[in-house]
Amino acid sequence: MVETRTPLAWALHILVHAILLLGAIFMVLPIVWMFFTAFKPPTEVSLWPPRILPIDWTLENFRGIFEDAPFGRFFVNSLGLSLTATVSVCVTSLAAGAIFGKYKFPGRTVLFMAILATAIVPFESYMIPLYLQLIDLGWINTYQGIVLPTLFMSFGIFLLRQHTSSAIPTELLEAARVDGATEWWILRRVITPLSIPALSAIGIFAFIQAWAAFIWPLMVANEQVLFNMELGLTAFQFRFTADYGKLMAGSVLSVLPMLIIFLILRRQIIESVALTGMKG
Amino acid sequence: MVGRLSGASPDGTRRNALVEAVRYWADEHFSRGNWRLVLFCFIVLAPVLALFGYVRMGPIISSVILSFHKWDLINPIKPFIGWANYAELLEDENFWLSLKNTAIYALLTVAMSTLLAVPLAVFLAAKTKLSVVYQTIYFLPVITPMVPMSIAWKWIYDYNHGILNYVLSLVGIPSVAWLTDPGIALYALVIMGVWKVIGYNMILLLVGIRNIPSTYTEAAAIDGADGFQRFRYVTLPLLKPILLYVLVTSSINAFNVFTQVYVMTLGSQSAPGQAVRVLVFDIYQNAFQYFRFGYASSEAVMLTLIVLGFTLIQFRVARNKEGQDG
Amino acid sequence: MRTRKSKSVGIDRRAALKVAAGAGIAAAAGMAFSKRARAATTLNIWTGYPELVPYYKSVAEAYAKTKPDVTVNLLSSSLREMEQKLSAAIPTGTGPDIFDIGSGIAIKFIDAKLLDPNPADVETYLKSGAWNKFTVDWFTQGGKTYGLPLLEGRAQMFWNRAMFKEAGIADAPKTFGEIMESAKKLTKFDATGKMTRSGISMRLSGQGSGITEKFRFVLEPAGGTLLVKTASGKYHNGFDNDAGRKALQFYVDVVQKDKVDDPKVPHDADAFANGHTAMLFREAWVIGEIKKKNPNLDYGVAPIPRWDASGPVKGIIQPWGVHVNGRSKQKEASWDFLKFLTQPANAFQITNMTGWVSAREGVDWGPLLKQTPQFEVFVKPPKDIVLFSDPILPFWDEIQTRIADRLPGMFIDPALNGNPAKVAEAIKSLATICDNVLKQAGAYGTA
Repeated sequence: MVETRTPLAWALHILVHAILLLGAIFMVLPIVWMFFTAFKPPTEVSLWPPRILPIDWTLENFRGIFEDAPFGRFFVNSLGLSLTATVSVCVTSLAAGAIFGKYKFPGRTVLFMAILATAIVPFESYMIPLYLQLIDLGWINTYQGIVLPTLFMSFGIFLLRQHTSSAIPTELLEAARVDGATEWWILRRVITPLSIPALSAIGIFAFIQAWAAFIWPLMVANEQVLFNMELGLTAFQFRFTADYGKLMAGSVLSVLPMLIIFLILRRQIIESVALTGMKG
Repeated sequence: MVGRLSGASPDGTRRNALVEAVRYWADEHFSRGNWRLVLFCFIVLAPVLALFGYVRMGPIISSVILSFHKWDLINPIKPFIGWANYAELLEDENFWLSLKNTAIYALLTVAMSTLLAVPLAVFLAAKTKLSVVYQTIYFLPVITPMVPMSIAWKWIYDYNHGILNYVLSLVGIPSVAWLTDPGIALYALVIMGVWKVIGYNMILLLVGIRNIPSTYTEAAAIDGADGFQRFRYVTLPLLKPILLYVLVTSSINAFNVFTQVYVMTLGSQSAPGQAVRVLVFDIYQNAFQYFRFGYASSEAVMLTLIVLGFTLIQFRVARNKEGQDG
Repeated sequence: MRTRKSKSVGIDRRAALKVAAGAGIAAAAGMAFSKRARAATTLNIWTGYPELVPYYKSVAEAYAKTKPDVTVNLLSSSLREMEQKLSAAIPTGTGPDIFDIGSGIAIKFIDAKLLDPNPADVETYLKSGAWNKFTVDWFTQGGKTYGLPLLEGRAQMFWNRAMFKEAGIADAPKTFGEIMESAKKLTKFDATGKMTRSGISMRLSGQGSGITEKFRFVLEPAGGTLLVKTASGKYHNGFDNDAGRKALQFYVDVVQKDKVDDPKVPHDADAFANGHTAMLFREAWVIGEIKKKNPNLDYGVAPIPRWDASGPVKGIIQPWGVHVNGRSKQKEASWDFLKFLTQPANAFQITNMTGWVSAREGVDWGPLLKQTPQFEVFVKPPKDIVLFSDPILPFWDEIQTRIADRLPGMFIDPALNGNPAKVAEAIKSLATICDNVLKQAGAYGTA
């Protein structure tokens, strides 16, 4: 874009970028700090003044963690559980979000508010009743028991409702109906493709949430083979020690897979969010 | 069933009146031709509602029922005690303290993360390479699990060895006891909360901005509107549905803050419990430390009602604003 | 036309979905098939002490030599989460065969009849002189015994010899007055007045019952106690008195008047191991921490001092038990394993491997003491120590936690510095909190 900028506009431009840069440093600092601390020997963890990079790089912290636990297994578990949750959340959010956003039917507001209201209730307060239900189902100590509460996300339905109601013109649906399209066809061929950006936004959120699940897997899993990463990391942590090198190594193990997945899919996640179906 | 019912009513006129009433009610809510549409809605919704009922609504209703009982989680006997839990709650200092702390935390986190995310989204809405880099960086905290990041933050906030105090010392600001000072600990949590959520809000608003057809802003530009005016009178009103989503979800998440507090108060070099006592922490403590599950349930019900009221107000305000602008 | 076209696209989409679903199923199958084939008997054990896992494993291996058909399946998590998991699982019959747990939760299980009294042979074993009377009484409820003692928590005073030498102090303090005098000499500040080393590391901040537990290390020598049991079996606070005020005053002086500790500086085992503090009241596991982090540290361990020359030496003891789930289908095998677990050779191992001290009598501690003399005061405490413990009450943890909510604020409250009236007021408010919990539980009484 060729634009002649006044000196004031230039100053503003530079200021904006300075602020963006400072903000960016603030955003990555905790993650960078965690990452490098994991490679520091205990003597370097509390150096003053602090150094970001380790002097003596060490893998000792990681070795300590891998010693007594099958983290490969935990990783596969986490991946499987999170993918299942992501698929389910996307499907249920799209289905319900589109209906709430684009159709009128009796009880619409009440049902939607009920779904939204339950998002407010802290999980810890209804975890025990859910656990009792699961016993009746015989799902304690099973994968399906662990994944169950993450299959559904109120915010997903909310976001898809907001998205479909604002970004998809009703005229488009009407036009399709005039052409003789069935509702089922409209849902799949009109609403779904136009909802991909919102779905990818909610999908990654669902994945993150399922990946970070801790309290529920702890309640349901009675055997180590069922553990996810978060559970595996805390199960082998000593209680009283503030051994930051080792703690950070554990944190890196839990964050790293997410980072890698995010960086690989970054284009899809952020770009697809930007690729609006509206343009077509 | 229906046959037996109609058979039991020999009075045809009354039956007709009933049918009329149903028909009238139906016409009120949707035109007659839409019956199939409604059926379609419920067919699509059915599996979602079934899942919702089983993993959410059912257990939550059980916990509401529990809030009228005294139960220690272990003993099978749970006497019904009516409103006693609620009455006690109103006189519980810890409840009021945690309500106050949660409100401060939620207000500051939501306000800051939204107010910062809007300009961020506006600046980064342009499709440049640099914009993509910034988006990636600002989004990073969103994907990091909370437990490990809380541990990392605890170390960053450390008075003696924390990197935050080091950075402050470079610009001549004396060290701050981020966690152990009861007057500061809550704000330390706010900073962390904003750090965590700002990227997500930014991406959502970015979607919203890019969804606005460029013809709108171009038309406004031709009419002579400057950048700020275009934002104020074109972008912002069209952003309202997504802004409402961002506000509502941020508030709900903020009222549910727990993991950070739990980690930050663990151990000896940590925040004093009272300074950062938030509602879910208090609920957790009552349920799993004091084994007062009924009482904790009543507290959860209160939390739900408070946030629900808050959310309804946000919806109402958004609707009124829409009315004014439109 | 339109429908047909969409159908063909739809099939592609469905095919893609099928691939995705297939991948999911494959992943799930991969998860399932590695569940091991079980031996004839598998005992499930849950522990809230992840550091005990290697110990349990080594005992299980030794046990398998005599009983090859028994395998042990271990599950561990941090204590707070394990308590939560057990309280959901035990009442609903989804729990393990064996678990270790503190008395506060155990008593709830016993009250709800979820634990059986020990079988006759186990009771005989418990009372055979293998444990001292104090410990046996601990595991006795209403005339019946429940569970076996696994280890016990005893806190003593760790002191850094090198720092004491450097400050010209000959020996560990013998009274709390001496603690303060020594601490003043041992505390260091940098040029800006920032504390760089504390004289003594007290629990000053955070959350949870531990703060009150540590407060009792001062309160008890001063002559107070948290709860007093009355003749009629009721309870009331035992610290709204001179002793309570002295104990709180000591903390306030430590932080504010004499400035020998500060909430901002590093604390606890880590700080002691890394030389950030000169004194610390803690349990024996700290020895293991020091071995790992700073094996060359020159330190000693002494009993927590008397309040003054005339007072008694008081020592906390917190037995920790192993129990068999009342709903276990393998009770006999479980008890057999527990009897093996608590044999002297294994009791030695628990201390040797984890630093936690076994309460078992008849253990030859010689080899351990030769290697690590610091264990001496833990495994062979002086005979004149007056023991105190946690009363076995379901609301005990709540009392300690609620008092712990208030203490950190008091320690740093400037109004309490040099103001005995304010200290008395503060203690009174804590006593009210304590008595209110008792009243709520219907256990309050003064006669």
